[in-house]
Amino acid sequence: MTPIARFRRFYGAGPLHLLALVASFAIAGAAIVGWFQQPRDIGNVLVWFAAAIIGHDLVLLPLYALLDRIAFGRGVERSAERSGLVNPTPYLRIPALLSGLLLLVFFPLIFRLADRTMTRASGISQSGYLARWLLSTGIMFALSGVAYAVALARARGRPQSQRA
Amino acid sequence: MRVPGVDPSAPPPGPFRDGFWRSPLRGPKLTAMLGLVLLIGIPVVAVTGLLSNDAYQPGLGTNALGRDAGGPLDLYLFGWPTHPSWLYALTQGLHVTIGLALVPVLLAKLWSVIPRLFEWPPVRSPAHLLERLSLALLVGGALFEFATGILNIQLWYAFNFFFTTAHYYGAWVFIAAFAVHVALKLGTMRRSLRTRAELLGAAPGHELSVEAGGAGRSLTAVDPAPASMSRRALLGTVGAGSLLLLVQGAGQSLGGPLRSLAFLAPRGRVGSGPLGFPVNRTAVAAGITPVAAGAGWRLLVVGERSLRLSREQLLALPQHTYDLPIACVEGWSTTQRWSGVRLRDLAALSGARGRLSATSVSLESHGLFGRATLGHEQVADESSLLALRVNGIDLSLDHGYPARVISPAVPGVHCTKWVEQMHFTAEAT
Repeated sequence: MTPIARFRRFYGAGPLHLLALVASFAIAGAAIVGWFQQPRDIGNVLVWFAAAIIGHDLVLLPLYALLDRIAFGRGVERSAERSGLVNPTPYLRIPALLSGLLLLVFFPLIFRLADRTMTRASGISQSGYLARWLLSTGIMFALSGVAYAVALARARGRPQSQRA
Repeated sequence: MRVPGVDPSAPPPGPFRDGFWRSPLRGPKLTAMLGLVLLIGIPVVAVTGLLSNDAYQPGLGTNALGRDAGGPLDLYLFGWPTHPSWLYALTQGLHVTIGLALVPVLLAKLWSVIPRLFEWPPVRSPAHLLERLSLALLVGGALFEFATGILNIQLWYAFNFFFTTAHYYGAWVFIAAFAVHVALKLGTMRRSLRTRAELLGAAPGHELSVEAGGAGRSLTAVDPAPASMSRRALLGTVGAGSLLLLVQGAGQSLGGPLRSLAFLAPRGRVGSGPLGFPVNRTAVAAGITPVAAGAGWRLLVVGERSLRLSREQLLALPQHTYDLPIACVEGWSTTQRWSGVRLRDLAALSGARGRLSATSVSLESHGLFGRATLGHEQVADESSLLALRVNGIDLSLDHGYPARVISPAVPGVHCTKWVEQMHFTAEAT
């Protein structure tokens, strides 16, 4: 067995894999040392870093997957199959996803979480964001509803055998 | 590599079992397409972020805001140019806008690979262990950078740490992990984009990828649920989300009629600010009283000699007018017509010569940007002004009355407001 083959057998990949990862860890390590320039902050920074992973992978993602399953589980599928017409799931899911995305990104403005800071900084208040988010949500669902009605009308116009 | 107490053939119930993941949309091709978008977009955000660090000229004065600007990761490669005057509006507008537009792509990418988080056995080899550690830095770095950036532009300081230092070094954690991820996965991505889905299983392994103990869990569901939406519809949704967020960022960066399209952006449709254009700090927030900025105000200019000038004396000096943007690190900008005295004329009055940097000190009693230093590129530029008027009228108190710095292509906070002192010093060459 050549040395490289022995290395692969023990390590699980080629030497380049190890070199690339060690280089990356070294740079990340230097960056973490940089965080220590603010010794009072380092604990909070590390907590936020870990919370970002846990908050996304083990909270946010399971939560929206669960909501999706509750909303668009077998019930919706079956009703579409029964009626033999257009599956409504994407027409509900897409505007819901887009509305949720806007909420996820702009919730501090929408719920005025920094209203005092914002007013002091900019001289303007954070009012109106909630209404505009709701309105945009309404418009997206309405547009989706129109698209669904069009798809439905087309499906009804086709002979039974061609219905999706 | 055998991990004691872990039976590779008997995963615990739930997400560790292959049958748990049923979405028919997941697969190498979806992941590769989203990965390709991130491969183009993330470097744009990273490079513009590093350029922003350069634009702050952390090597001068107190511009580094307490960071040790001489460290190995503290890139400060060149003096920041003054042309075009919208340079920083462009780079920082891209940083924030492309960053926002990548949010749905990042979320979809993470969704597409989530089954891999619950691989069984959790560790197959030393290589696999190291790669998973690196992925923790990658995912954590991405989410940390996006979350802190997005909260910062909305001024919601929920985190109890200093944003600039945390975001800067966090970027390096992310960049380091991103680079190695690209190196390890580029071949897989290219192969997945080239190959028809059904042939992927038979494709040969990439030479850098983890081999021992077999390949990782397939992204394609073994027992897919019936499709309720096409992969094209999912990608279209991600694209629509990106476009919605792109409009928010672009609207507040480009301004003009586009600003009203940015209906959820912090400096979008919501309203402009005093005199009809935005500020990032009001006089109240900065603790400026009308008395301190009133008739008794004098500007102290320090060079070879010092002199004190009243506002009337400044107005009696040659006045120059330029259209210049204020470009905020938070991603918004606004271009206005500023009039005032050239910084280089003030420098000449003080008798200072050579390659001069200029430190402006504000009446502002508290806050990070009570002082800022401009480099010799800015001081020498004819359009760098101590502005006294804007759009043909006197500055308002919120916009920095009695006098403020305005200089082309510098970050907005370096255009010090309520200036009380200007110090011209020869730059070390």
